[in-house]
Amino acid sequence: MKYLNNILSITIIILIIVLVTIGLISAIGSDVTKAITGFFWGIFGSFYGLSEVLVRATPLILAGLGVAIGFRTGFFNIGAEGQIYMGAIAATVIGLEFPNLPPFILIPLVILGGFLLGGFWAVIPGFLKARFGLSEIINTIMFNYIAINIVGILVRTSLKDPNYPLPMSPELPENMYLQQLLYPTRLHIGFIIALVASLLIYVLMWKMVAGFKMRAVGLNPRGSKCSGISVYKNILLASLISGGLAGVAGVSEIAGLHYRLLEGISPGFGYIAIIVALLGRNHPVGVVFAAIGIAALQVGSITMQVQSGVPTSISWIIMGLLVLLILARRTVSSVNSDQKEEATL
Amino acid sequence: MTTIHMPLLSMQHIDKFFFGKPANNDISLEVRAGEIHALLGENGAGKSTLMNILFGIYSLDGGTIYLKGKEVKFFSPREAIKSGIGMVHQHFMLVPTLTVSENITLGIKSTGHPLPDRKKINDNIRQLSHKYGLDVDPCALVSKLSVGEEQRVEIIKLLYRDVELLILDEPTAVLTPQEIERFFSVLKRLKEEGHSIILITHRIPEAMAISDRVTVLRNGTRIATVNTTETNKEELSRLMIGRNLKPIVRGARAKATEKDNPRLDVKELDYLEYGQGKLQKVSFSLYPGEILGIAGVDGNGQKELAECILGLRKATQGTISLNGVRIEKSSVAERKKLGLAYVSDDQHHDGLVMDMNLVENYLLRVHTYKDYIKNGLIDYQACSRVTEEAISAYNIKAPGINAPVRLLSGGNQQKLILARELTGNPSVIVALKPTRGLDIGAVEFVQKQLIERRNEGCSVLLISVDLEEILMLSDRIGVMNRGRVIEILDNNEGIDLAHIGLMMTGHTFEEKS
Repeated sequence: MKYLNNILSITIIILIIVLVTIGLISAIGSDVTKAITGFFWGIFGSFYGLSEVLVRATPLILAGLGVAIGFRTGFFNIGAEGQIYMGAIAATVIGLEFPNLPPFILIPLVILGGFLLGGFWAVIPGFLKARFGLSEIINTIMFNYIAINIVGILVRTSLKDPNYPLPMSPELPENMYLQQLLYPTRLHIGFIIALVASLLIYVLMWKMVAGFKMRAVGLNPRGSKCSGISVYKNILLASLISGGLAGVAGVSEIAGLHYRLLEGISPGFGYIAIIVALLGRNHPVGVVFAAIGIAALQVGSITMQVQSGVPTSISWIIMGLLVLLILARRTVSSVNSDQKEEATL
Repeated sequence: MTTIHMPLLSMQHIDKFFFGKPANNDISLEVRAGEIHALLGENGAGKSTLMNILFGIYSLDGGTIYLKGKEVKFFSPREAIKSGIGMVHQHFMLVPTLTVSENITLGIKSTGHPLPDRKKINDNIRQLSHKYGLDVDPCALVSKLSVGEEQRVEIIKLLYRDVELLILDEPTAVLTPQEIERFFSVLKRLKEEGHSIILITHRIPEAMAISDRVTVLRNGTRIATVNTTETNKEELSRLMIGRNLKPIVRGARAKATEKDNPRLDVKELDYLEYGQGKLQKVSFSLYPGEILGIAGVDGNGQKELAECILGLRKATQGTISLNGVRIEKSSVAERKKLGLAYVSDDQHHDGLVMDMNLVENYLLRVHTYKDYIKNGLIDYQACSRVTEEAISAYNIKAPGINAPVRLLSGGNQQKLILARELTGNPSVIVALKPTRGLDIGAVEFVQKQLIERRNEGCSVLLISVDLEEILMLSDRIGVMNRGRVIEILDNNEGIDLAHIGLMMTGHTFEEKS
């Protein structure tokens, strides 16, 4: 019964998505078959396409994990975008300061620095929430603007590359580059780091007392207090880890792809991370799959644009629709299970 | 039918299934015009489900409903109200930021719509409240009302809509003894005016005191309908839980231990909230092997006292010692480590995490114990084992240890909390209204557990608004009024109930002021 419902609702969602996609493509006046073949060819048609999906998924997994932990603890972190930039700043500064450290020291140092600065950027709203009850949703959004504009200032002033007229930092030392995995694709070791992070987060949240406490606080703060679990400490801890992971996403983008700090290194990864966490049900495994799925959607839509002239914006429309439908589905099924609660044992 | 009265309401062979599980199984119920009909049963017996079907909240899976001889079917509460049936839910449905009068007229077009004539409406409301003895000020904000007043507003709301048949879901659960008295006289008044009332309850004395007839439900089926005058408490209890209730025997205290060091020593405790003294100079000592009952009308500082001892609130002044250690500045976790256990009436907020399973809820206490941690990871095997043991030792009915606790009934949830809090043999148990809202079986169980622990030498601070419970369980009794513990008496045969009653209303016997 429940399975049937699940299958049915998922089928309906897929059907709606397909219909809307076809509708949109034909509205633009493009050839639907060509566009859709282009989409799938972009993902599966070449080794490069597949690798590109994983490249895109890397920051989404890391930031998505961060958002998911925040959600689990009741800290609604909408600020992953800003935390990514803070992580990128930390990586750049450390890289430029210590260009001669060997990679096995510099890379962990850069990751740690990104984690701490990204974490710090989330701990401030976390503290304001835990201590004074201020909305972390508003504060993390505001912190996004601050972080993004700090990057804007830095790449024009103290971190600017004197040899170029454009606002960007000098190229970073090779010692901090994240190893390429499958040359000539852009896939780098950051993807492995993201997978390891998911595993660690899984162990932390479901196998360790610290994670148990965070989840308890997220589900019932008052009950946790009554059991001697500090809501204050756990929100601080969750915000640190949450922002820290987003910070590492920023490090991975800088040290794995761009090799320098510039504006716009994150095309909204921090916001997509929220969708990733949502689709992945705030679970590390779900987050990995959701991140890869969304990355595929974006990569496919780029090829689609090249081959059939359908703008990539369509992938954003589909993504928005998908979230809406999935939320609607959960609400509908939770309305059904309300009745189930009446039949208590 | 040869009855002289034609039944006002007749529900015939009602069936209702939730996911294949019967919640109502072939239940028939008849309510005569002008009677108070008690619907008696334990939690989960199907009382509320049956009434929700009548009120149009649930659809029925089988059976028919006749109102004044005509078949009816309601698809929403709105239709039910139109036909003269109204329901007051256990949890009130009022908008706190609106006034009483605005709440009452919410959703109906009153005189002068769309610019209602508030003055006239208020007059009407005053007339109604006067007629039935339901005192409440129409202009007051609902957020400023006491629970008893909110309930009166809910009833007026129905009367204002000309409801003939009132369904009241556990109406006395939130009331103090004095308010219950008053509430019963309102019910009598309503009956005199020709209203019929269905009273959903699990309290037998209540059904005996006020109803004309009683229908007993058990496990979703109707067991019997009896005239109240032709039955007694024992019969009702047999019908309701399927066996006789054995009175709890407290027995003498293990030994005279007054000379022992107190387990819990509270001295001159003050607690201020928004400039209001919620606790004032509260002092008492709790000795090993005794139950100290704190009686009093709800809202006189009981919750604040319990939470200051637990550490959820920090006392403004005064000292608390637990086993000789000063704890007034310690965290909740530290206090629990020193041997404190806490059971309250609010399983949803205080005791459990509803979306976690039984094992994880057990972990809420044992996560600080080394036995349940292996190599830095939670030893789920050990946790599952101890949870399984608790389930069988406390006879907790659950679909499994991995089911979320929200699926358990209130009684089973409380048993789980009790089992959990009593692991590690705490030396002091703070129990704040531990049996409120539970079914008889669970109440009995919780009370027996407290006695058993006391016999084993544990100290129990029992804070309750149920005076009978206090008298039955306590070795000594203190009374709280307006944040003070007035006097602590030994509980023996000769205890003066009138004296306690007076203290509950704030009367002090040596007027010092």
